[in-house]
Amino acid sequence: MAFIEIENLRYRYPKTERLALQGISLSIEKGSFLGIIGPNGAGKSTLGSAIIGLVPQFYKGAYGGHVSVGGKDAATVPVSEIARSVGLVFQNPFNQLSGAKDRVYDEVCFGMQNFGIPSDEMRRRADETLELMGISAFRDRNPFDLSGGQMQRVAIASILVLRPEVIILDEPTSQLDPAGSEEVFRAVEKLTESGITIIMIEQKIDKIAEYSDRILLMDEGRAIAIGTPDEILSRPDLEEHGIIPPAPARISRALSFALPDGTFPATQEAAVTLMEGRVGFRKDEKKGEAQASAEELLRTEDLSFSYTEGNEVLHGISLAFDGRPTAIIGQNGAGKTTLAKLMKGLLKPVSGRILLRGRDIAGNTAASLAGDIGYVFQNPDDQIFKAKVADEVMFGPLNIGMSEKEARKKAMEALEMVHLASAADRNPYDLDLHERKMVALASVIAMETSVLILDEPTIAQDDRGKTMISGIIKELAARVTLVISILHDMDLVASSFRRVIAMAHGRVLADGSPEEVFSKEEVLSEAGLELPHTAALAKKLGAEDILLSDASFLAAAFRV
Amino acid sequence: MTGKSIFRTKFDVASIVLIPACIGINYIGKLFASALKLPLWLDSIGTCIGACLGGPIIGGICGAANNLIYGLTTGDSITLIYALTSLFIGFFVGIMARAGFMKTFPKAIITSLVAGAVAIIISTPLNIIFWGGQTGNVWGDAVFAASQAASLPLWLSSLFDEIIVDVPDKIITLILVFVILKALPDKLTALYDAADEVERLD
Amino acid sequence: MRSISLYRDNGTWLCRVHPFTKLAYILAVILVPLLLGSLWAYAAAIVLDICILISGKSLRRARALIIFSFTIIVTIFLIRGLFDADNITPAFSLGPVVFYQEGLMKALRTGAVIINMLLSFSILVLTSKPEDIADELERHGFSPRLSYVIASVFSIIPQMMGTMDTITDAQRSRGMETEGKLSQRMKAFIPLITPVVTTSLINTRERAIALEVRGFGSKGKRSYLSPWKKHRGDRAMTIVLLLSIAAAAAWRLASWLS
Repeated sequence: MAFIEIENLRYRYPKTERLALQGISLSIEKGSFLGIIGPNGAGKSTLGSAIIGLVPQFYKGAYGGHVSVGGKDAATVPVSEIARSVGLVFQNPFNQLSGAKDRVYDEVCFGMQNFGIPSDEMRRRADETLELMGISAFRDRNPFDLSGGQMQRVAIASILVLRPEVIILDEPTSQLDPAGSEEVFRAVEKLTESGITIIMIEQKIDKIAEYSDRILLMDEGRAIAIGTPDEILSRPDLEEHGIIPPAPARISRALSFALPDGTFPATQEAAVTLMEGRVGFRKDEKKGEAQASAEELLRTEDLSFSYTEGNEVLHGISLAFDGRPTAIIGQNGAGKTTLAKLMKGLLKPVSGRILLRGRDIAGNTAASLAGDIGYVFQNPDDQIFKAKVADEVMFGPLNIGMSEKEARKKAMEALEMVHLASAADRNPYDLDLHERKMVALASVIAMETSVLILDEPTIAQDDRGKTMISGIIKELAARVTLVISILHDMDLVASSFRRVIAMAHGRVLADGSPEEVFSKEEVLSEAGLELPHTAALAKKLGAEDILLSDASFLAAAFRV
Repeated sequence: MTGKSIFRTKFDVASIVLIPACIGINYIGKLFASALKLPLWLDSIGTCIGACLGGPIIGGICGAANNLIYGLTTGDSITLIYALTSLFIGFFVGIMARAGFMKTFPKAIITSLVAGAVAIIISTPLNIIFWGGQTGNVWGDAVFAASQAASLPLWLSSLFDEIIVDVPDKIITLILVFVILKALPDKLTALYDAADEVERLD
Repeated sequence: MRSISLYRDNGTWLCRVHPFTKLAYILAVILVPLLLGSLWAYAAAIVLDICILISGKSLRRARALIIFSFTIIVTIFLIRGLFDADNITPAFSLGPVVFYQEGLMKALRTGAVIINMLLSFSILVLTSKPEDIADELERHGFSPRLSYVIASVFSIIPQMMGTMDTITDAQRSRGMETEGKLSQRMKAFIPLITPVVTTSLINTRERAIALEVRGFGSKGKRSYLSPWKKHRGDRAMTIVLLLSIAAAAAWRLASWLS
């Protein structure tokens, strides 16, 4: 018998009607790496919670079938008992800190204290695990002062010290910036070498492809398929289940480079091995320069800012924005959010000025600018307060003086746009995080501002959500709304934006079309940015041009 | 609802983490009220939410722990004395909520009057014992001074003082709690249902 | 991180003293004058508080804690001195207003109680770490759940205060005014507080899960990382303090009986 045996597992959350899991059967052997993929709402996290017994013991609800972990029945053996052999790490790094300890070292020991592990052994394990996760340097810091990536590694360490046989990683990087994600993935790599059984739920398909022995594809509470990464990610029905195949698999399929077993390579490495020397690239002569559209909407002149005196975070930023959708990219701390908040009037510049259609905004409060400049915050839960989605979306329009009737009309149009019109009467907090993000987006779209600033719109979104956001950006651009977005998702930058501003250390490093910016290697390395996946593959295969989309890749590439 | 189920309390991990969150909400309520320069304390919103979700026992614990923790760590040691008031407010609001008196707006107003009455009954003797009857609030103390000047008995002056200070605050607090609770999702309130069991599907 | 705790480790002996010893001190310094009943006992207690704070290099920070109480004390003097029911003997007058001795003495006593209480508590508040108090309670047989509640309040509040600023920004971005008439400010309260409440309650659910998977619900015996480094004389001091309460109580009892 395998270490984890799941038989016909069915589960429904309390006060809901739909089964979140509709008959899952699965066995997981010790020492393997299982990746779980699927769209939001597929039941991935619920399955993870069922393995450790939180479903049904913590969530209650209705439960059927059988889950056995190392011979223990996960439905009845207390979670604290199962937790000795199964660990769980989830999305939000903040909420995984116990909250009772003010030193990283004590935080990591918290679980061991609960299990009564003697202090000598505690110290030995803690030292070893901090070292393994690369966080020894932070041992005396307050865990709440760490960055997301560091905090998430503390969370993993806090689980590892309990020496579980299985660790479940439930989208551990979905709320982190690229540098933080990279830190966590490096930690995960170290784990794979240690021989522990890993179950990882993840939207970042290239990472899943790289690490997994087997991948489980889930959709609507069902296990659609299980197999090797190449098998699963080559499936022709992947997109029907809300997963966009990784760039290497897409490109090699389009160019008909199959592996001997008929599947397509899921990782860049395998794709390069397969295609190297067998594709050539036509040089594109008529390089498309980014054309500025006629009307200038927003301008910053020599903008500088510091939160504390003598500690300048923005140094003399001068930018002019026209109607083109514009992405601002760069690592955390580059000054992107500060710049956005200045443009919205939430912060006041130390020097320089901001002009909206030629008029200085210095005298305006953020509230009085609400009708002109919209700002969608990263975390939707920082704004949602109404008991109904429609009321929430109407709040902004009513504040800027629309009539009740007009506000309702605009709200419904905006909800239509984010595909949530059917949820208008529901409680926003009964929706999932990715849907709440869409509610927050709609609540600002409904105000019909001429400038719309988005802060990380793709966090927590799956491939379907990202596609939807891409469509919304195009639609807004067609309405002559200037969309400015802070983004970490380079694939979306490549596919949906006509202008890219790369920032680092409070300065603009590059400003131009995506092709122009991504072709500047020194800028990418200074700003700590990576190429979008398609462009990265093209470059590895020897393309000289920056090929951002599958279409441009396939137009330029030919088999030799 | 029987008397027993009104007091039924889950002491699981979910209820334990509810307590510090409610204490935090009390604090934030007070901060927002002063940031908006409102003439109210609004520092028992969390206690009342804890009481409505977790029942009278959790409500009482939230209230008492709130004053004890702030009193012993933030230097506001006068708060300590009123731990008793907070405890009973949490307890009685919990009973009212379990008895269904937070379901509609008029019923929530009744609950707010109960909370106000509890505050007066417990705080007035404390005010008399410790401060000779004053509350430290300008408006309340002005009324106190006026009643004392008019030679009313001490307890009556102190009672007036306390009514001025606490009753409007408790009414507004419970109205706010009512609105906030209405906005809470089912997913969350399900967690604190004292009577739930896992249903089997096979 | 912005902490709401006023504790600072300034390296003095006072920070090393066990929190329970300080609690015993607070108990003694409040109860003994109360039992003895003399104003001089209060004066002595206040002098003792101040001496301890000075030697613990914390007097300046303690001053900030008691200064706010001065307005209350002034109003107590005003109201008692002018209107107290027992007022008979005029003490002095300011123009037409006459202050009476009896009321002023009462006010003096109340003021002394307040100052003594604030000062003695400030010794604990300024020099003991809340997490340590929680830890010590747990080791002395209190429920780990109690110590968890205490400790986590201190991490939750700064977190909530951080979201407060973001929420204010987010609602202002949607055109909500936070300044102006009272009715307008009142109306702004709900959009500001609801997201904090809902988010923090949702967070408690995740935190409960995080605690569950780290065995917080486990019924077995717990262990501790390191023992408390005993301050010399903790036990002796505690015994002396508790004895002083007993002595004062005995004196009070004896004076009643005679």
